[in-house]
Amino acid sequence: MLALQLAITGLQTGALYALTAVGFSLIFGSTRIFHFAHGATFVIAAYFFYAVDAAGWGFAAAALASALGAVAFGLAINRLVYRPIQRNAGSFFTVFVASFGAAIVVQNLVGMVFGRGFVSVSTPLSRSVELVPGVYVSPLAWLAILCAAGFFAALQWFLRRTHLGMALRALADDPELVQVFGLDPRRVAAVAFAIGSAIVVPAAIITGATTGLNPAVGHHVMLISLAAAIVGGIGSVTGTMLAGFLLGLAESLSLLVVDSQWTEAVTFAILFVFIIVRPAGILGRRAAH
Amino acid sequence: MTVIEVSRRLGAGLAALALAAGGAGAQDHEIGALFPLSGPNAVYGDVFRAGSDLAVEHVNADGMLSGPMSIAYEDSQGLPQPAVVGMTKLVNVNGVPYTLSAFTGVSKAISSIGARFEVVAVNGGGVGPDLAALGDYFWNVIPLANLEVRAVVPYLVEERGLTEIALVYIDDPLGQAIEAELEAALPGVGGALAGAYSVPTTAQQFSGVAAQIRSSGAEAVYVASYGNQQVQIVKQLRDNGVDVPIVSYSGYAVPDALSLPESDGMILTGQSVAFDSDDPVTQRFVTDFRERNGGDPTAYNVNYYNATLLYAILAAALEADGAEVTGANLLAKRREMGSFDLVGGTVSFQENGTLLFPIQVSTVADGALTPVATVEPD
Repeated sequence: MLALQLAITGLQTGALYALTAVGFSLIFGSTRIFHFAHGATFVIAAYFFYAVDAAGWGFAAAALASALGAVAFGLAINRLVYRPIQRNAGSFFTVFVASFGAAIVVQNLVGMVFGRGFVSVSTPLSRSVELVPGVYVSPLAWLAILCAAGFFAALQWFLRRTHLGMALRALADDPELVQVFGLDPRRVAAVAFAIGSAIVVPAAIITGATTGLNPAVGHHVMLISLAAAIVGGIGSVTGTMLAGFLLGLAESLSLLVVDSQWTEAVTFAILFVFIIVRPAGILGRRAAH
Repeated sequence: MTVIEVSRRLGAGLAALALAAGGAGAQDHEIGALFPLSGPNAVYGDVFRAGSDLAVEHVNADGMLSGPMSIAYEDSQGLPQPAVVGMTKLVNVNGVPYTLSAFTGVSKAISSIGARFEVVAVNGGGVGPDLAALGDYFWNVIPLANLEVRAVVPYLVEERGLTEIALVYIDDPLGQAIEAELEAALPGVGGALAGAYSVPTTAQQFSGVAAQIRSSGAEAVYVASYGNQQVQIVKQLRDNGVDVPIVSYSGYAVPDALSLPESDGMILTGQSVAFDSDDPVTQRFVTDFRERNGGDPTAYNVNYYNATLLYAILAAALEADGAEVTGANLLAKRREMGSFDLVGGTVSFQENGTLLFPIQVSTVADGALTPVATVEPD
């Protein structure tokens, strides 16, 4: 029963990792911008939901505010930070440092506004119910898995079936080709930031209700996103989603064989194994997008 | 000599006179503080500062010292490495003779610097038992975790009939010390450790640990962590079907943690402070703290008020003797004076530089602590 419990817990964790990491992977895969502030997007989405929900405006308004906040931040950082740096021929590393700095600024601003302590979204959905003797699952676990499946399916449809989606896939390889087809690469990049930021919203909301929030949570989110993006294959949305689930399951199921102290290390052990044995990730470059 | 030259010389003479007059007896008193001011433990920094800042306000208002007292705060983040950087700056740049410390790992990391440069470090927040053995220049104004564990174990086993205790502990000196104390104390009263689950300092997911605890058949869970992580542990244990009593130490007694609905019913230990005491130091502290912060003080507020006030008492005594305020002289004066009127009453240090307080066992209800037992120290 413990193994079944840990597998279900791992699926829930993996779903949240997948949702978070896919957004990062989409942005990086399309624009080649190392968007370290993706963790800050997560923090903004989570705290916007928390604030509006705590004010009594209800779930729908809170979710809308969360999505608007996340997308606005994603678009703003692209427009106001990354583009000026790229326009001045800033290197990949310059963009990374700027993104890192933006994440620190957001963390501190959120701390100033909401306090630096622990907050959580209060909902009865986070309380587990006993499915069978010894196996507890919260309604939010199912919601996380459903959200991951739904958002991923929608994203795949968008990337494969729409012109804009195809342009996004083409952007990383050849921005000039995108231009030839009458599309503005900067607008396509903005779409990548908008969608990548929006995907993080369900993970942020569910995390706020299950594990709670603090302004520094973005760093952990970013570490997991980066690990999943590398394990899944840089730029591969499908690979990143699979890697998210793999890391979540491995982290949870490892409790069967190692002490709880080492569960996080399992994530990075998997990362190292992939870097050494299969550097292209689960779905290598050929299968990217 | 021109008029301008005369004016210059007169001005220089007056300035020298003013400096000499001011410097004859007045001295600025700067002490240091290594508190977590950012990161996941920053909430503690706010709580600690509320106590130390109030003490400085009182010391300056009373004119206890020949010059104004102030605190140079450095951000330790609750981590040893930034704390060592901060301590080095306080010692070498600011030249403070006395510094406030917090957190077990931080305190252990900076204690050797304090000992080397004869700078007193006073801990009011870390509770690792090792902190009692960090040398002459490291003092504790807080009862350490071994006393808290020894107080709560008999209560759990004998009063509540909870014999099988699981432990979730952070993998650092504090968590390891609490594990050792539980292992030592439980068998003596007929209890046992049902399982010990260490978690890294950065961990945020504990649903798997909750499943392991449910499988262990534990009748209570002791949570030994701090900062935001301890609150995450408690919330996730409750959310994931762990419905046995949860026990923790004084580190949990911060407003953010107590106000969590999942904290209701928890059993906590901490130092016993008689806030309704008649002594003027306690009354003034309680009254002014409530006025400024709009709520009752916690033990942490008391500890850092006391640690800061202790410096003023010692420095004032040294000034009265005409002695220089150095770390070595502060240590000698503490030993010479023996006892001090601080918040909570007249207290004395043990030989190892640690204050003894009775330990209070409380339960949490609606964000407040209700005392259920008080254990006098051995």
